[in-house]
Amino acid sequence: MTEYIIALLLGVGFGFTLNKAGLTTYRNIANQFRFTDMTVLKYMMTAIAVAMIGLYTFRGLGWITFPTVPATYIVGNLIGGLIFGVGMAGAGY
Amino acid sequence: MNRIKSFISQETWSPYVAGILLGIVGLLAVLLANSLLGASGAFESLAGLIGKKIAPSLFNNVYWGVDGARAMPIIRPEITWSVILLVGIFFGGTLAALSSRTFKFRFNDDAQWKRIFGPQPWKRWVIGFVGAIIVEFGSGIAGGCTSGLAISGGMLLVPAAFLFIAGFMVSGILTAMIIYRKRY
Repeated sequence: MTEYIIALLLGVGFGFTLNKAGLTTYRNIANQFRFTDMTVLKYMMTAIAVAMIGLYTFRGLGWITFPTVPATYIVGNLIGGLIFGVGMAGAGY
Repeated sequence: MNRIKSFISQETWSPYVAGILLGIVGLLAVLLANSLLGASGAFESLAGLIGKKIAPSLFNNVYWGVDGARAMPIIRPEITWSVILLVGIFFGGTLAALSSRTFKFRFNDDAQWKRIFGPQPWKRWVIGFVGAIIVEFGSGIAGGCTSGLAISGGMLLVPAAFLFIAGFMVSGILTAMIIYRKRY
């Protein structure tokens, strides 16, 4: 039960920042692919960098162990990404 | 206190500020629940849940799990942690829009979209629907979406995340070029 409450609260945090970053509008997503608006990459890369520093610090301190990481299968990841991009740039979600 | 209030009621934050906050959310997910943020898997879980009810034989496969088999399915067809997270994302976005007083039912009001595709709302719905299918299909193959694979994988330095980012940037740029042509 606690796990689900945590999930709900973290989801709220996620949705809140997504909306405030402006990533719930078509224009900001589409313009990333035209390089007239870099919001998507700024948002994504900042999040990755911040979480990465925290995660590796906490693991170094022995507070956490990493969860099962997404599997790497080069062809699948690449082809999946290529298909994904078409929908993302087209629909703007 | 007033400064916090006025910050929250801003319509858009700097993407760096929003990104830092998302990074903290991603970190908390690992710290508190030993889980990763992800959205696309939740849709697949829900699809599996519905599919197993209405067409059990069709959904009785390796992806959503074979009845009686001991092997774990790739996607669990049940209300998973991610599904709850997805519900939270919905309410979080709604709250954010309410806080900046931009909450509104929109059918098609993006000026840029109208310039490219025309003003008809049905076009927005059709392209949105088809685009969403493509997005979900792609993330199913890759093993995650922008949140579950690119961000969550990236913060764990998983090679898959960076392959995926490269993939969607390349095809996204090409798609945008085709859609925008001379206006690119």
